[in-house]
Amino acid sequence: MSESRKEKLEAIDVHVHFGGVKALNGVNLSLQSGDILGLIGPNGAGKTTMVNVLSGFQMPHPGTVKLNGENVSNLSARKMARAGIGRSFQSARLFPKLTVLENLVIPGLGIGLSRRAATSQARDILDWIGYREDPDRQCDSLPYSDERRISIARALALRPSFALLDEPASGMNEQECDRLMQIITRIPQEFGCGVVLIEHNMHVIMGVCHRIHVLDGGKSLAEGTPDEVKKDPKVLRAYLGEQASRPEAVI
Amino acid sequence: MTHFIQVLIDAVAIGSLYALVALAIGLVFGVMRLINFAQGDYITIGAYSLVVPSAAATPALMFGALPWPAMILCVILTVVVLALVTERLAFRPLRNSDLTSLLISSFAVSYFLQSLILMVHGGRPKTVSIGDALSRAVEIFGVRLPGVQLLTMVVALTLLIVLVLFLKKTPIGIQLRAAAEDFQMARLLGVPANRVIAIAFAISGILGGTISLLVIIQTGTLDIRMGLMPTIFAFFATVIGGMGSLPGAVVGGYIMGILSVLLQAYLPAELRPFRDAGVFSIVILILLVRPQGIFAKTAKERV
Amino acid sequence: MLILKRMFPVIALVVPLIIVVFVIDQFGTGNMQRVSTEALVRLVFAVGLYMFVGNSGILSFGHMTFCAVAAYASAWQTCCSMMKPTIMSGLPAFVRDNTFPLIPSALTSVGLAGAVALVSGLVLMRLSFFSASISTLALLVIMNVVFANWTTVTMGNSTIVGLPVYVTIWGALAATVVVIVLAYLFQNSRWGLMLRATREEEVAAQASGVSLYWSRFIAFTLSGFVAGLAGVLFAHFMGTVSLSNFFLNHTFIIVAMLVIGGMHSLAGVVVGVALISAVTEVLRQAEAGYSIGGLSFAVPPGTQELVLAVTMLLILIFRKDGIMGGKEFRWPWPARSDRLAIEERKVASVQRSS
Repeated sequence: MSESRKEKLEAIDVHVHFGGVKALNGVNLSLQSGDILGLIGPNGAGKTTMVNVLSGFQMPHPGTVKLNGENVSNLSARKMARAGIGRSFQSARLFPKLTVLENLVIPGLGIGLSRRAATSQARDILDWIGYREDPDRQCDSLPYSDERRISIARALALRPSFALLDEPASGMNEQECDRLMQIITRIPQEFGCGVVLIEHNMHVIMGVCHRIHVLDGGKSLAEGTPDEVKKDPKVLRAYLGEQASRPEAVI
Repeated sequence: MTHFIQVLIDAVAIGSLYALVALAIGLVFGVMRLINFAQGDYITIGAYSLVVPSAAATPALMFGALPWPAMILCVILTVVVLALVTERLAFRPLRNSDLTSLLISSFAVSYFLQSLILMVHGGRPKTVSIGDALSRAVEIFGVRLPGVQLLTMVVALTLLIVLVLFLKKTPIGIQLRAAAEDFQMARLLGVPANRVIAIAFAISGILGGTISLLVIIQTGTLDIRMGLMPTIFAFFATVIGGMGSLPGAVVGGYIMGILSVLLQAYLPAELRPFRDAGVFSIVILILLVRPQGIFAKTAKERV
Repeated sequence: MLILKRMFPVIALVVPLIIVVFVIDQFGTGNMQRVSTEALVRLVFAVGLYMFVGNSGILSFGHMTFCAVAAYASAWQTCCSMMKPTIMSGLPAFVRDNTFPLIPSALTSVGLAGAVALVSGLVLMRLSFFSASISTLALLVIMNVVFANWTTVTMGNSTIVGLPVYVTIWGALAATVVVIVLAYLFQNSRWGLMLRATREEEVAAQASGVSLYWSRFIAFTLSGFVAGLAGVLFAHFMGTVSLSNFFLNHTFIIVAMLVIGGMHSLAGVVVGVALISAVTEVLRQAEAGYSIGGLSFAVPPGTQELVLAVTMLLILIFRKDGIMGGKEFRWPWPARSDRLAIEERKVASVQRSS
């Protein structure tokens, strides 16, 4: 199920401020179909804001977001979703009174599939992420790790060109993390999309990402392969302060 | 020209009245996210406390029979107690509910109070006359002002100024304002929730009582729905002013008053009875253009 | 069998209603029949309101507007042929000078109500969740002011009398069944499902490509048609049309029924309306007075309303989701074939991942 055409998502010189605080200060990043880009940084670095900008929940001011060369900076969240940008949220935000299956049918309906096609697709995705429980169970009674898996599945049900995942591993134990890493690694080949992954869990980030973009205080600090970033003294300093510029100390 | 000044004075008078009710609604909304429909019934009950409960169309006076300082005190006290009781019994248990539940609950309290009045006083409008002396007209700079309107303006503006001073200068007032504009933050800073909410309700009671007196002096009629329209007007005043903003509530009140008076003055005669429909249509237009209100305070939901 | 299972939530509501109506029709007093018919008409309105409020989560005060429009439209077409030119001189000539047959006039009245809902929905659904809610209040006020003052067309606050009374208990029941089925089909349709998603999580719904505007607009318009139907039924049950029946008090009663039964399911609506109608009727008779063994006691008039308001507050405080808790009546037994299907899927996915 791989896409033959390479799609490209770019953020160009993006600035965002709330009141007096500058959440993003001239950030540039880009990725293509098949990439898994990690987005890391200390708390408050602007990671979620960046994802909000890429998914249409926040307008860059100034700055541009381009999808396949087309300027999509002004598109609403809904239009971005329909243009192929799927996302999950830091707090899963599942539809609580709807069933697991219905949660996955909604994005299919959102992109215009028929009821039957959306349902069939939903079942396929549930199988793919290995969810074997009752799909007609209401989401407000799901265990925590299932919630997070379903929220990723919901983003994927949009058949996105790019899936933006916001801290999917938070709160998971080691076994659940490993299972999550397997899922994320297989997303590009199964769905043909690019992935942006915000995470604090370094094990997950280092394990699945092709490249990592580091933010600090709203600015891009570094970008490169996991190995490069691991050794970058600027990154270490940002996370741990001056003492820890020795690479072995951290990751 | 005099006609225009007349219109202007009307607008300020009615605007001040709506601003007062809007402030009451805005204060309570600020500290509790509650749109208090019962505010209208506070006004109504304040007015009805002037007379003895009975089914008569011209009932005997109760508080209305007292010398006017005592009368004012008793009416206002009645409404304050009522406001505090409704807060304690009906609204406090619902304190952390969502907006819609709170809205429905205030609707329920309002319905309850109206039914209570109906039970105690009967449904027919009654006449009450107090403050007859004020029905004389006063003439200032060639403009004839009914005494009542002058009184309304003076009282309303005075109360507004007193309230603004209270909110800006006194420690309790400052706490209340902080809580009304950002309740979570105020609590984190140690502002006592129960006390602040009680004070907000008490003030809405004072405002309600005052307004009921002003309305009675003006119309001389008691009706179980008399508080409804001013409250609906005030409700929309807080919305177009910006929910959660106290200055917004006041400005919104004046806007509603001005709209109302302008339409009344300048609509062709056949259309004048539809004035309120015009006002609310314009309100909807304002909401379409600036949905968050003029002094938008509530931030968009964090994603 | 599958159809039976899928429609069970509706069947579980409709069958008891049919049974109750049958019993009342055969054995009930004239008064009971009247009260039940009125309750059914109220149920039609409540289902209409639920179609919008229950699925979107947005409380609407404005649905009485559509009710009123249809009621008056039906009155204009079917009543007072002698007096119309005098008392309703403002009507367009072809309405004023003619009387129309009942069914077509009912249809056009419902259509007109739906059209009003459509136009106001186009505008109001642009507003955010809470603003939309309170703007429906503005809509109601606007309607009230317009109807109260356009006396050449509506007779203002006076009651229009002399409408043909054709709504029987079975007719009301038929309408009720139709709208219940309609509401059920809608809530399970793609638009109903998307709308319910917006109710639960507006942000995630948008991120899933759902249009808040269109999903709300469609529900608002459909519910307007149903509210209009209720208006026609009400007008031809009472035989009169009076503006005071279409303002806040009656809105409150229906909202109370929705809250008490549970706003988020059809079962909640039906249970709420049935229960409150029954309780209200008991209290109404208590207000009129009972005499038992030479002693007569009556409950003071106004008790109905107080009890309703207090019950509603208690439900809001202690059982926010209402009696039915937002749930429908579900088919209680998973069929053997279903259990088999679940097992098969489990085996298949285990095989796939190994």
